[in-house]
Amino acid sequence: MEQYRNFDAQDFTFAPQGALIIGENGSGKTNILEAINYCAFGKSVRNSFDEELIGFSKAYFRIVAAFSSGEESRKITAAYDKKRKVVTCNDVTLDRISELYRYIRTVYFSPEDIGIISGAPTMRRTFLDQAISQYAFLYLQEYRRFFRVLKQRNALLKKELSFQEKKAWDREFIESSAIIYQNRQEYLTSFIPLLCEKYHEISGGAETVTVQYKHAFPCRDGDDYIGQLTAYLASVEEREWEAQRTLCGPHLDDLIFFLDGHNMRRFGSQGQKRSLAIAARLTQAMLILERNQDPPILMFDDVLADLDNHRAANIIQMLTGDHQIFIATPHPGGYTDFQLPIINLDKIL
Amino acid sequence: MFSGLLGTLVEQLRKLPGIGTKTAQRLAMHIVSGDKQYALDLASVLKEAAENYRKCTVCNMLTEYDVCSYCADTTRDESQLCIVQSTQDVYLLENMHEYRGYYFVLEHLLSPLDGMGLEEIHFGALQQLVASRTIDELILALNPSTEGESTMNFLADQLAASVGSITRLSTGIPFGGDIEYTSSMTLVNAFKRRYHV
Repeated sequence: MEQYRNFDAQDFTFAPQGALIIGENGSGKTNILEAINYCAFGKSVRNSFDEELIGFSKAYFRIVAAFSSGEESRKITAAYDKKRKVVTCNDVTLDRISELYRYIRTVYFSPEDIGIISGAPTMRRTFLDQAISQYAFLYLQEYRRFFRVLKQRNALLKKELSFQEKKAWDREFIESSAIIYQNRQEYLTSFIPLLCEKYHEISGGAETVTVQYKHAFPCRDGDDYIGQLTAYLASVEEREWEAQRTLCGPHLDDLIFFLDGHNMRRFGSQGQKRSLAIAARLTQAMLILERNQDPPILMFDDVLADLDNHRAANIIQMLTGDHQIFIATPHPGGYTDFQLPIINLDKIL
Repeated sequence: MFSGLLGTLVEQLRKLPGIGTKTAQRLAMHIVSGDKQYALDLASVLKEAAENYRKCTVCNMLTEYDVCSYCADTTRDESQLCIVQSTQDVYLLENMHEYRGYYFVLEHLLSPLDGMGLEEIHFGALQQLVASRTIDELILALNPSTEGESTMNFLADQLAASVGSITRLSTGIPFGGDIEYTSSMTLVNAFKRRYHV
């Protein structure tokens, strides 16, 4: 890492099993995880702007990361100088940064993950869409196409009324929405049973989890989606011209998590929400592994700290695969079971 | 570094598509330091082309005449009309020596984000042209982009009643392509439009 956050120039070599990164608050533990994730997503997993990743009073940052898995090795470079961002794989500049999804897959367990359960719907959509993109790379193309159509349609709704023109965009919007919905449905079919299983394992089997896909318009799952969306769009045509934006579609859909039949967002305890968020990330990782036969890198950013010992122990037991595991924490005591090589930032910096 | 006339020349060349500062400088140096007669001929043909090229009054294609050579050719098949986005597309389609019908150039695709609507794609003129002819097949030869698809949807909806049939260019696995590297959308299209062998 060069001039990345608090690291001026720092090299790390990680063991295949990963590392337990320890250090005081502000020592840069999360920054290391963020930098590795940057090579998988092409942006900060903490939603920071690229500008904010550059060290104070520096002009640019650069991350160079060499990965190897089986017989394949790759070198990913990401650099940003306040004007231009360049991301390369094996020294070839990527046309689209999202191509990184093909090469490096990581699952980042963040303290903010509780938002997947209790935050705004956009957090759940982001989680779902990102998970599907890692699982099936081609979903990204459909996703981009959908947002392009949505932007065009919203621009049209801001212009003077043109019903003929709108009809053409409606058709594109409906087709593209159906593809997004279908992909999400397919993913959830594998995701939901596994999520329940993982949650049981974490919580010790006491509670039942169910998940509902909530459409932004009255839609019965299983019935003809295209027909239902077409009819609904026709019924809100006037309201859409008034509002000057698209009022239904996958960009407004949501997921609702239930625990023993109760909406988790409203009734779940902090610990339950946290456990479910961790179960969701574990499921994401398992599906990536199942689909691509390549275990994703797992990163735990001090997420086990708030759980009771029994739940934390269950999670630790689950992680016996071939994943490379990174754990960042100021209190290394609880993680001795992992037997990970320790990187102590207080000693390095 | 380049001032005066030479600087102005570099600036003008740089406005051309695909020309950066370095290339513009090299071209400018070549023009002023090389064969003088060549430079004067280039200037005169530039002037002539700029003055004489205009849009065909029937199909919008760029041409030296009021009506382009394709629209003026009465031996072509009037039952077919091919809709393209640009004059360049007409040349590409003509190169395949497969099509003998007429053309219509939209110049743009529907794109509300860029302010491209019905007027910009000359929809009124197209409607008039279609109404004045008996067209058996309207061929939509537009890019299968988001904007191209919407434009094709729109034209198909609006003109279906006025023509015999509407077709569009096939989308699918390119010749010599590889299924493994084909995007899912392309594969879905190729699969939907599979044909008997």
